[in-house]
Order: sequence, then structure tokens, then C-alpha cells
Amino acid sequence: MIHVQDLQFSYTSHPFIADINFTVPAGEIFGFLGPSGAGKTTIQKILTGLLTNFNGNVEVGGIDLKRFNRDLYERIGVDFEFPSLYEKLTGRENLKFFASLYKHHVAIDPLLESVGLINDADKKVSAYSKGMKSRLDFIKALVHDPDILFLDEPTSGLDPSNARVMKNIILQLKAEGKTIVLTTHNMYDATELCDRVAFIVDGKLVALNTPHNLIISHGASTVRYSYISDGEEKTSTTALDKTATDPLLLQLIKENRLSTIHSSEPTLNDIFTLLTGRELQ
Amino acid sequence: MKPISRSFGMFVRQIAKDGMLWGIGLAPLLLGVMIRFGVPYVETVLSGYFHRSILVPYYQLFDLVLFLMTAYMFCFASAMVMLAERDENIAQYLAITPLGRKGYVFSRLCVPVLLSLPASIVLMLCFSLTIWPMRHLLEAAILMGLLSTVVALLVVSFSRNRVEGVAVGKLSGLLILGLVVPYFIESGLQYMVFFMPSFWIASYFLDGNIMFLMSALITSVLWILVLFRKFSTKLF
Repeated sequence: MIHVQDLQFSYTSHPFIADINFTVPAGEIFGFLGPSGAGKTTIQKILTGLLTNFNGNVEVGGIDLKRFNRDLYERIGVDFEFPSLYEKLTGRENLKFFASLYKHHVAIDPLLESVGLINDADKKVSAYSKGMKSRLDFIKALVHDPDILFLDEPTSGLDPSNARVMKNIILQLKAEGKTIVLTTHNMYDATELCDRVAFIVDGKLVALNTPHNLIISHGASTVRYSYISDGEEKTSTTALDKTATDPLLLQLIKENRLSTIHSSEPTLNDIFTLLTGRELQ
Repeated sequence: MKPISRSFGMFVRQIAKDGMLWGIGLAPLLLGVMIRFGVPYVETVLSGYFHRSILVPYYQLFDLVLFLMTAYMFCFASAMVMLAERDENIAQYLAITPLGRKGYVFSRLCVPVLLSLPASIVLMLCFSLTIWPMRHLLEAAILMGLLSTVVALLVVSFSRNRVEGVAVGKLSGLLILGLVVPYFIESGLQYMVFFMPSFWIASYFLDGNIMFLMSALITSVLWILVLFRKFSTKLF
């Protein structure tokens, strides 16, 4: 559905995006992870046709982004990081206007209902909270039932309950066969939602795999335990696959002296830090 | 055409919801009334006092100002709407809808200019102080439309918000001063403002020389070409 080969781009004389290669098959949620300024949003701008002076080959939905017409926009939906709404219009008026730009569009009310905005649909957007604007902006990208979605930090600024609603909708869209490109620096969203993630740092693609494979291949789960010795609490750590050969742990289990025992897996953020030496958040 | 008409509909809707933009839209009408009835009255008073015509030699200049004001105000309102849409990230969003960048610019800049052509001609027919043949009316409408496009591009390119837009809009009024130059400076000094399309426009209608018409067209198009890249970068 999306094919990127040898992508290079620069705002200045210095290369900013370099040697980016990846393919996103239909029905996949593909995540771009990276710190602010890494180039995620620039790549999204290229994939949505906003930046066209790039080098390399980029195809979205079989359309070459060096030579495309407006039909591309009938097929893609974009949710930018910051809301793009008419503040003086109501939520419903906004959706109706944006829907009217497309050849085909879906009913507005079910969309409003899906994000809990149906009762506020006739309020002016200027009276909406930040979270309400984010939700309205998100469904604005869905008014024309696009095949491919580009979502930039879709849960940013949302409370946990509304973030959950949003993530459920994203998963539902994937189940319907939509292809979704998610740009985020939220490792939890990426781990939960994405089939594959790409780490972007300084305009370069550092790693690309499923979140599970990245965690398994680069990090080991550990077991941390504590016990009382000489009247003091002491702690020790061992790899999960080495527990059978840790004599102290085996002895403590045998003598029933363990105070606490926990297993822990590295997070995507840990793997990101391991691979890039940078923090995601 | 559907996205462009919808987008233009939204443009009109925004103007309708904005008191300041209403005022801008009505300004040419008020100016027309003032010029048609105020200037001859002042002329009567002045000529009675000085025993000669004072303002009559400049009636064509008043007409040119009136002519320009329609397109200028339409374009200024358009620039204000575009600045608001840029602040709300809407311009960039519309660029990735079937409207596209070209459709957006067409609906916000070209359509208002096209509408200003008949509007300015009607105002001229109602309020002008001199007689204008239809060919001159059409030529002036087109030239003023181009000049006003330059103003709109300037306002959007050099403003970060609507407040700055108003300030840049006032400054861009300097571009219009070229209209006055041929009426008051007869020596070669007048060519100091050769870069102002308004100077060539006034020269053309004063003299009728086709070279002035060509110069007005060329300087306007050059301004548009130079400003459009910055305008486009700033907007999207």
C-alpha cells in the first residue's frame, strides 16, 4: 500500500531525511517512533504529498507522489498533531464542510457518537476543550472513509479514558482493512497499536520490526528478587532464562526466604535507548 | 469545481461572521458615495473661492482610487481570512483534501479578484466622476485586480497573524501611492517609482500609451511571481 525507496529530503543544503526504505502492506498499522525533531512529521508530509521536492521513490496506494492528482486525497485521511478546525463553527458544521470537499462521505452523526461528541456537536469549536478538539480532528480524517490513514500523535492531550476510545477506533479501522501510519513518541501507544515500528533518529531509519521482535531481539527479561540477610533486606537480579542456574535464587526458594520476586520486560523505550542512545519521551 | 465552490462558500461564510471584514467589504461602496457626491461639492466650494478648477484635473485620479478600492478590499479581506486559516492550521489541512493547494489559492485569491472585476465596474458606472469607455473599464478592472493580488500576497507573506496583517496591509498602501505620481510629478523623477505597478497604471490612463499598459502588466506579474513562493511556503 505504501512503498518508500531511497527517500532523501532536505530543508537546507544539509540532508535531513536520508536513505529511508520501507514498505507498508494493506491493513497494517505502521508506527514511526522518534524524539521530537527526528523527521517523523517530515516523512508524513512527504507521504501525504505536502512536500514533493524529495529524492527517491514514494508510492502511496499505487500513486507515485512525484506525479499525483487530487484523487490521492480521496483515498487518504490525515490527522495532524495540532487541530485544524474552524473555531467559529460548530463541530458538526466543521465535519459537514470538510466532508463536502470529497466525492463520497460517510454519515456525520455516527462519527461524532464514536468519540463521544454527539451531545456537543452543535457547540462552537472555540468552546471545546483540547481533548474534544483532538477527537473532532481525528474523526475529521475519517469523513470520506479513506483507505489509508496518517495519524500524528492521535492520543496526545487526551485523558486515559478518551485515549482508550481513540485506540479502540484505530484498532477497529485496522480490522476493517485500513492501512494506518501512526507517528508518535508514545512507546505505549506504539507497542499496543502497531504491527511494526520504525525508529527514526536524525532523519535516519535506525530499526524496523514488530515491537515484540524488537524487544525480544535486543533485550532480555529479568527477574528481580529480595530477601533478608543478617537482618537487612537485600536485592538481586537474574535473567529470566538463567533462573535455574542462579544458586542464590535456588537456595532462597528452597529455604522459603524470598521477600519479593518480580519479572520485568524491557519496554520499547528501553530498546529505543539501547539502539539510539536517545530517549523517546 | 465542487471543492472550489465549497471552499469559496466557506470564505464567504467567514466574512459574514466577521464584523471587520463586513466593514472592509462595504468600504468601496462608502468611498464611491463620498467620491461621487463629496468631491464635486468640495470642488464647488474651492472653485468658488479660488475662481478656477482645483480638483477637476484630478477627477480621473479619484476614479482610479475608487476603481482600485474594490479589488483591494476584496483581496485584503481574502488575506485576513487566509491568515486566520493559517493560524488555525486549516490552510495546510485543506491542501491535503481534494481542494489541494491550487484549489485553495484559487478559491481564496483568484475568485475574489474575479468577483471584484464586475463589482468594480458596477461601482464605477454608479459613482465615477469622469466618463470611462467600456474598454478602459475592463483594462482598469484587470490591472487593479492584479495590483490587489500583489497586496494580498504581501500581507500573507509578511504577517504572522491578523494584527500584523492589518499593519502590513496599511504599509502595502505605499504601493498604491504610485497612482498619484504621474499626476503631480512631470519630470523624469517620476520614474523613481518604476517598480510600482500603480505608477504604470496611472500613467497609462493619463497618457494612453500602450507601453505603459504593458509595463503595468509586467511589473504586476513580476511582483506576483516573486511573492508567490514566499506566500506558498508561509501558508502551507
